[in-house]
Amino acid sequence: MAEDLKNKARELLRARQVDLVIGYKRASDGIAAAPCFIDIEGDADKLIWDAYCVYNLSVYLKDFRGKKIGIIAKACDVKSIIVLLQENQLKREDLFIIGVECPGVIDEKRLCFSDRQYQEVDRAIKCRPCASAVPLLYDWLLKEKEKMGKVSEDHDKYDSVRKLEAKSLAERLKFWEGEFSRCIRCYACRQVCPMCYCPKCVADQAMPAWFPKATGDKGNFSWNVTRAIHLAGRCIDCGECERACPVGIPLRDINKKIEKDVKELFNYEAGLNAERKPLLSCFDKTDPADFIR
Amino acid sequence: MKDWEPKIVGFLCNWCSYAGADLAGTLRIEYPPNIKIIRVPCSGRVNPLFVLKCLMDGADGVLISGCHIGDCHYSEGNFYARRRFAILKRFFEYLGIDPRRFQMSWVSASEGDKWAKLIKVLVEEIKQAGPNKLGGRKDG
Repeated sequence: MAEDLKNKARELLRARQVDLVIGYKRASDGIAAAPCFIDIEGDADKLIWDAYCVYNLSVYLKDFRGKKIGIIAKACDVKSIIVLLQENQLKREDLFIIGVECPGVIDEKRLCFSDRQYQEVDRAIKCRPCASAVPLLYDWLLKEKEKMGKVSEDHDKYDSVRKLEAKSLAERLKFWEGEFSRCIRCYACRQVCPMCYCPKCVADQAMPAWFPKATGDKGNFSWNVTRAIHLAGRCIDCGECERACPVGIPLRDINKKIEKDVKELFNYEAGLNAERKPLLSCFDKTDPADFIR
Repeated sequence: MKDWEPKIVGFLCNWCSYAGADLAGTLRIEYPPNIKIIRVPCSGRVNPLFVLKCLMDGADGVLISGCHIGDCHYSEGNFYARRRFAILKRFFEYLGIDPRRFQMSWVSASEGDKWAKLIKVLVEEIKQAGPNKLGGRKDG
């Protein structure tokens, strides 16, 4: 299976169909995966594909604008590519999407704390309600040899969001202020996010300074809220921000809340159709207005 | 604390609501002075960051006001605003921010009366919500 992948990468590079293949290689610990960038045929041997390939590689696409890129992408990664296409951040003709059938990736955080093998380690929480093993968009598909029989577990995707919604206003504020108080403002959530491509982030801006740059109640709260609203109708829930967060803020519970609201209010889901206009770049005359006096 | 008066920031569109508020003055309708008005070209100009910054930096409430749907000077600015702030409104509530602190209203240039009534109600509601303690403020 991995052989098919390597052959395809070799073929693409040999035919000069792409300048670069973005994929996964084995990390130096011999277990985990690491992103790799392959621009000569001989290096294609490094490529791997298994459940350790947790990263969403589409975050690197913005670094290679104007080049022909081959990218290995899971179903969720392809969704983020679709959003980037919707927002004119990429040209479809510059991309060769090597889709991979994905039975769900491992839960990296839990693996770090145990020495169990993959078979025993659970799938990442984000993968459990996901039923889309095959990417929505690809130029070539690497098929899973043995059918892993990916079934979305009977798992309410918005379970944790609903639990929070059921709490009182004061409890929710206390909860989020507590979570945000741990934020060290490393911006790992931003760096790892394929949707965060602004050349100058509002968090780094000095004129005007939207919120304090130092850690503290005000700045931490503002940063986390800002990050979330900038992802409204764009986040495809690849879960990379939560994975990258060193202090374990449940960022997916924020992203999913907005995702849920957007679905309820506008019947819109991010990352499904590259032809459709982005949510906040259009409107509908029948949009909900019950909150306006 | 009993002398506490809420501070409300109002983002008013230049074409309708600002003129509406102006009309309330011209008509000599009395309403509470708790609102600080910031004139913007259109309700579509308002960035969610404006609202966030106000609430973080000491405002007890924020109002966004613009032309009625269909009356926008730029035809569709308020449609975009409506979409954006429908999401923000629900999101703020999820974070535990009192929904009374963030409000939106359409006020036309002829609705000086509506404007004065709106501010009276708004000030009353925000008084009930109490001082905003977001952003680590301990005082009122």
